[in-house]
Amino acid sequence: MPDVQTLVNDFVLKLKRRKIEGSQASAKQTAELLRSVVSQQRLPYINQATVLLDAVRAVGEQLIAANPVELAVGNIVRRILHIIREEDLTSTASAMEGLSLSANSDDDDNYEREDHQALSAAAVAAAARSTLRAPSLQTLLEGIPESASAPHPSSSGGDSEGKSKSAERSSRSKKLKHDVIEAINELIQDIETCHEQISEQAVGLIHQNEVILTLGRSRTVKEFLCAANEKKRSFRVFIAEGAPRYLGHVLAKELVAKGLQTTVITDSAVFAMISRVNMVIVGAHAIMANGGVIAPVGINMVALAAQRHAVPFVVVAGSHKLCPLYPHNPEVLLNDFKSPSDLLDFGEFSDCMDFSTSGGSPRLHVVNPAFDFIPSKLVSLFITDTGGHSPSYIYRLIADYYSADDFVVRRRSTTS
Amino acid sequence: MWRRSASFVLDKRQLAQASPPHQQILLSSDDMEPNNLPNPNPSTDHGISAYYQTRAEHHAVVTSDWLAQAQAAVTRNAAVPEVLPKIAATGGSRAAGSGKAFSVIDEFNYWRKKPDLAEAVAAIMALAAFIRSSEATTMMELEIELKKASDTLKSWDTTSISLSAGCDLFMRYVTRTSALEYEDFNAAKLRLIERGEKFGEISLKARRTIAMLGQDFVFDGSTILVHGYSRVVLEVLKLAASNRKMFRVLCTEGRPDRTGLRFSNELAQLGVPVKLLIDSAVAYTMDEVDMVFVGADGVVESGGIINMMGTYQIALVAHCMNKPVYVAAESYKFARLYPLDQKDLAPAIRPIEFGVPIPSGVEVERNARDYTPPQYLTLLFTDLGVLTPSVVSDELIQLYL
Repeated sequence: MPDVQTLVNDFVLKLKRRKIEGSQASAKQTAELLRSVVSQQRLPYINQATVLLDAVRAVGEQLIAANPVELAVGNIVRRILHIIREEDLTSTASAMEGLSLSANSDDDDNYEREDHQALSAAAVAAAARSTLRAPSLQTLLEGIPESASAPHPSSSGGDSEGKSKSAERSSRSKKLKHDVIEAINELIQDIETCHEQISEQAVGLIHQNEVILTLGRSRTVKEFLCAANEKKRSFRVFIAEGAPRYLGHVLAKELVAKGLQTTVITDSAVFAMISRVNMVIVGAHAIMANGGVIAPVGINMVALAAQRHAVPFVVVAGSHKLCPLYPHNPEVLLNDFKSPSDLLDFGEFSDCMDFSTSGGSPRLHVVNPAFDFIPSKLVSLFITDTGGHSPSYIYRLIADYYSADDFVVRRRSTTS
Repeated sequence: MWRRSASFVLDKRQLAQASPPHQQILLSSDDMEPNNLPNPNPSTDHGISAYYQTRAEHHAVVTSDWLAQAQAAVTRNAAVPEVLPKIAATGGSRAAGSGKAFSVIDEFNYWRKKPDLAEAVAAIMALAAFIRSSEATTMMELEIELKKASDTLKSWDTTSISLSAGCDLFMRYVTRTSALEYEDFNAAKLRLIERGEKFGEISLKARRTIAMLGQDFVFDGSTILVHGYSRVVLEVLKLAASNRKMFRVLCTEGRPDRTGLRFSNELAQLGVPVKLLIDSAVAYTMDEVDMVFVGADGVVESGGIINMMGTYQIALVAHCMNKPVYVAAESYKFARLYPLDQKDLAPAIRPIEFGVPIPSGVEVERNARDYTPPQYLTLLFTDLGVLTPSVVSDELIQLYL
């Protein structure tokens, strides 16, 4: 346990100091850290899932608080909470079915009860699967009575069942952890290979002799374009440089090295050049629940230009960037303000930084936001590692990956 | 536009001639006309929507002509044994047609009288109570009886969307195959009752869930435009106010129901700054508005909503000025309708008082509600969560498929 705590503290420190660059790295390291937390967590015989959930939630709360702007951390915490719930329910359901089979071999005059049990096991499994999904009209109707009856058959077991149950339970305890860790491994695998899976879809999207526009440098976009290039599509790329970091220059060099015809333009020239462009492809920092996108600053302008000229606006992002929160949430409203030295040289402007003015603050302010918010209606298509989706479909992906209970990650004093 | 066409005018005249006992009433005063027609029959010129009468009843906006209609209805129904009464102010109408000791309409009326209860929830409670008192001995019989009761309730007011949606959902709930798994009828019946009452409870709690979701969207210093008197929206604002959020509310007057006055009453009691606007002033004030909050009478399959007349107008203006429109609606209001334009819905007639007599030959548009297409709505707050309009059809398909 102390070992895990040091790991957590280290990670929190790294997050606070912004030592971890990029959502993919943050996501992967968060998943690895939580995997260690899970594997080192001691589980009691009953209520294992709750203990696991609490442990992960406690750590997750710290991680999210360390760097609230990096939404991928929170996403992975919620993914893992969802995984724990899922694995718990699948194992309970299979245990129920196993239990009803053993009940069949018992007394004959328990006929009615066993029948009820056999039915309820199937019903419980169905209800369980549905409780995992986000509440829908269907789940509303299946309702709580079903899942409330889940512990009932097990508690109504007789003596002969008791022994077999405890044996099952101890094997179940190891099984839950094992399943969860396996699932987390799969998640880490997915995060690592997200670029390959996204790039596979490049060929279908980019056609011969097209002109693509992008802004700044996104690793996903770079691999996307290179994959299409390798499949012998010949196309041209306009890169808007992406002030003030000018990462567009770096991307231009990389693409030219791969043999792509590239043109570098300033951000201000986007509106002028957009009419010559067939498609805009950009990366994202995070995708919100309503389909809105948080992307590097300047991309909102590109999106507006694309809409004005009816150019399809495609966002490529790994599924670890999918955030179940809505843009109004206080956590999400944060924009990262970077150092003004990117824009203005301190030396030249030192006389403007005069603190002796009447207001007590200098007359010159420099604002350097890192992100932009793009409303969902400007986005034509999302390409994630699971495929291409329209913005109105995002809620479905969120329902698949996250449980509604976890949207606010806070330690709870009572078990849920 | 077909309403203005010659053929329609001819039809209308024929209709007026076809019901001679009511003819003189038809021609005398606009307000008195519709109630004396028999039970709302969608094919003829429509009766007053009982739904809106209920709202009037609850909120004590009783106009003199309404009282007169109610009086007439009582005397008329006493003479004519009819299955489906018009609701009189005294509430004395009985459902003569059911012939059982337990009348689902009576139960419904009992629940409906509680002002805080939505109509659909009252229907659901009534149906749950109906199952409890049913004397059926097989599932099939129970289902048939339930269907009859549900149809009775639905035809009490054919124009109310949430009522028929709620009844449909309940029927769907009850006739799902899982309910038929039980060999023992009594166990199954108990189960149905349990689930019915649970559904009723969920629907009651829906408002609280929606309030919790919706109040998140109210930020400090925001200006909210509200249209119509929705108890759900009121709950959202109450919760936001109790969470010490600083916001102010603009209420549209809401002719002819005076919803704005009632709403502003409630908000003033909470200490929220309120400003009343006439309905025409919406575009004028729209640029100082941060968001629009409305309730819904029904949510249709396309993701659009049916709500008090004027909602479509406000949504159009808000869309034009890029203001978000938020709808607060419980999930039992999801209906399997797909209107393509305003005329696809049966109009719900509401008497409108102009204060002065209207010259003869002048028509009045008396429809009480309109349809707002989904592209003008931003988000829907439901007890299923915060949804974008496109999710609604998905939900409905999942349920009914």
